[in-house]
Amino acid sequence: MNSDRSSAEISRVHAVSASLLPRHLLGRFYLFGALVALEYIFCFSGKGRLPGHVKIFGVMTDPYGQIPLFAYVVFLSLGHSIWKAQKENIPFGRIFFGFHLLFIAAVLSITLGTQKGPGWLLYDPFGYIRSSLCLPATILLALACVPLRSWVRAIRSTGLLWLYSSLAGVAGWYLGTLIKLLWTDANTAQSATMQTGSLYAVRAILSVFLPDVVIDPTSFVIGTPRYMVTIAAGCSGVEGFALALLFTSIWLWYFRKEYRFPQALLLIPCALACMWLLNIVRLCALIFIGDAGYPDVSDIGFHSAAGWISFIIIALLFSQATQRLSWMRKIPPAASSFAGPPHSAGVECLPGAPAQFREERGESPAIRAYLVPFLAILAATFVSKAASGNLEWLYSLRFFAAAITLWYFWPRLKSLDWRFGWFGPAAGVAVFLVWIAPVWFQHQPAASPLGQALAALSPTARWTWIAFRVAAAVITVPIAEELAFRGYLARRFIGREFDAVSFSSLTLLSICLSSAVFGLEHMKNLMDWQHLLLGTLAGLAFSAALRWRGRMGDAVAAHAVSNLLLAAWVLGFGDWAQW
Amino acid sequence: MKSSMKYALGVLGILLGTCATAHGLDFFRKPEVDPSLAISALTLLAGSLAVLNIRRSK
Repeated sequence: MNSDRSSAEISRVHAVSASLLPRHLLGRFYLFGALVALEYIFCFSGKGRLPGHVKIFGVMTDPYGQIPLFAYVVFLSLGHSIWKAQKENIPFGRIFFGFHLLFIAAVLSITLGTQKGPGWLLYDPFGYIRSSLCLPATILLALACVPLRSWVRAIRSTGLLWLYSSLAGVAGWYLGTLIKLLWTDANTAQSATMQTGSLYAVRAILSVFLPDVVIDPTSFVIGTPRYMVTIAAGCSGVEGFALALLFTSIWLWYFRKEYRFPQALLLIPCALACMWLLNIVRLCALIFIGDAGYPDVSDIGFHSAAGWISFIIIALLFSQATQRLSWMRKIPPAASSFAGPPHSAGVECLPGAPAQFREERGESPAIRAYLVPFLAILAATFVSKAASGNLEWLYSLRFFAAAITLWYFWPRLKSLDWRFGWFGPAAGVAVFLVWIAPVWFQHQPAASPLGQALAALSPTARWTWIAFRVAAAVITVPIAEELAFRGYLARRFIGREFDAVSFSSLTLLSICLSSAVFGLEHMKNLMDWQHLLLGTLAGLAFSAALRWRGRMGDAVAAHAVSNLLLAAWVLGFGDWAQW
Repeated sequence: MKSSMKYALGVLGILLGTCATAHGLDFFRKPEVDPSLAISALTLLAGSLAVLNIRRSK
């Protein structure tokens, strides 16, 4: 009896875990690619380097371990439509995956060992040992995600795609090496072209406004006697180029059924040119701000935020241009009753599709009330960070941005159940205790420049700033984040018509996914595992509060209580790093 | 021919973008695009695109 129950329990657990994984071939290919990419980044300490260089035509190439990665991207992109049609359920190789984890654990222990430096671990500066362990680990993962029989069938069904992909992988790797010369200072004719171009473009603009521009072309330094910057390789515009190229290519690829080619491709160089110009403007603004006597703002806030602001502006303009320029669309904008990009799949995308199908496209209009307050906070964050040094003196902007948008959408939001019971605040206390536990065990607050920056303010300014910081943490942020992550995202994972899904019917998968995104949002940098985990746990607790009685008020109360207790901790113990 | 060109250019764009991003981005420095703001920026972009993508009846 007991064994029957336990075997039923095991099969139920297996069914749940299997349902969390993609079941079909294409999904498994994506799963494999995503896991390999994550392991590639984190097993090599974020450096993204695999060993192996060769010299071709006098050019020292990048590591050739990148070839299979590029080849796989091409293989997946070109075979996408063929494999999408294959709907056969594929088993997941748990044994292969178990052995894969063993290999990855070995790689990670070497990575951590070389960082910590214990003498008994072999130092592996070029990563040869880790690479030789990563290779069987990757093969095992490939077999776990997609059985060998399915790999063979997938390769056979796409003819010579494997050969084209391999050649494209080699071409991409070599081309990447050549392109890299445009912004590195290697001793070649084309080296540092972008840095030089940016340097002289910035000088041309600065010379109009500033009489005493100083420039050193050999070290790429430019500025005034009061403030100078070095246009490093990463600042030369290449990163903006790369992001814009990636975004525009993926956009046109994803919505390829909507556009006329090659007309639509003309927008890509336009986007790149705009990105280049905005980077020149950013560099000029850096020097203007520093020269005006605000080097902290220039070095810290503006330097960090301006590049992303430029990219977001270009990406949004590009997406709107592709919707509104009729000469590059198969469906004229006037014939479509929608503001945004339609999904490429589905009958509603075809010209002449019946009106009842066209009505199904796009996101539910309710998304605005749930998402805009949170987006307003994010937008205000970028603006206030760009105008700040160590102290984000415009923090109140975040509060007002959220308050105004919540007030605007309140007629739509007031129909939600904002009442709360004991469970919400109790969940908030639990989240606070879990959040603060790592700090408690460290016994001393982490150093933070915020405390010193606040101490330098007058008492009135200091307490005004703290009042807005606490008000945002306890009032506007909990409401906006709960509306976005639980009200919208958790239900959007269930269906497009998210506002028709009740809070009580959130699924385990939707809760876990939205909580993971919530955790990502709380990372302070890309390696901040601690806050990723804590944020995810907090998201799970807030979701539980929401699902308990299906009331938004419980989730908001939980979030507000945890933020209130954290604010009390920060102010009581002077632990400013927690803000 | 036109279809092949469309696919080839799409792949080339993705490939070059990935190459340049992988080469250009260093997770531990703060150059043109600060990695510590990456998640906020991509969330803001994705959210804005979703809001712009709402259905509107005629």
